[in-house]
Amino acid sequence: MSERAGTAEVTESTAATAIAEPELATADLLVEEVSIDGMCGVY
Amino acid sequence: MSTEAPARGARAGFDLDRPWQLHAQVSVRPERFGALLYHFGTRRLSFLKSPELLTVVSALGAAPTAREACRQAGVSDAELPAYAAALATLASSQMICAREAS
Repeated sequence: MSERAGTAEVTESTAATAIAEPELATADLLVEEVSIDGMCGVY
Repeated sequence: MSTEAPARGARAGFDLDRPWQLHAQVSVRPERFGALLYHFGTRRLSFLKSPELLTVVSALGAAPTAREACRQAGVSDAELPAYAAALATLASSQMICAREAS
């Protein structure tokens, strides 16, 4: 019984992640940030 | 070199309804994919991966609000959340900063 409940929770959590990802992915497509600290001497 | 994902909380708090501008220490280099921004103070680079986003960023200094800059650049209502998130990322890295309304 508890195993089934656990499975249901995981499935629900996965579904929530799948819904949240497109917004994050779209934002990441528009801007990407890079730090160049520590690159001194690398030419 | 490192790539860093900005904090999600910073994205959520962007105010589209106030005036913004490009930071004075930021240089913009248009590219085929969009643009490169370089901040001389923080030594950070941001890649704008959309020419429309470059248009928005370029329009910020003259537009009364960020929302208006997006509208002028042709950003649709459906696209607005993604552009607001992108502007929040740029604000969190100081590429753009709030300005006083004139």
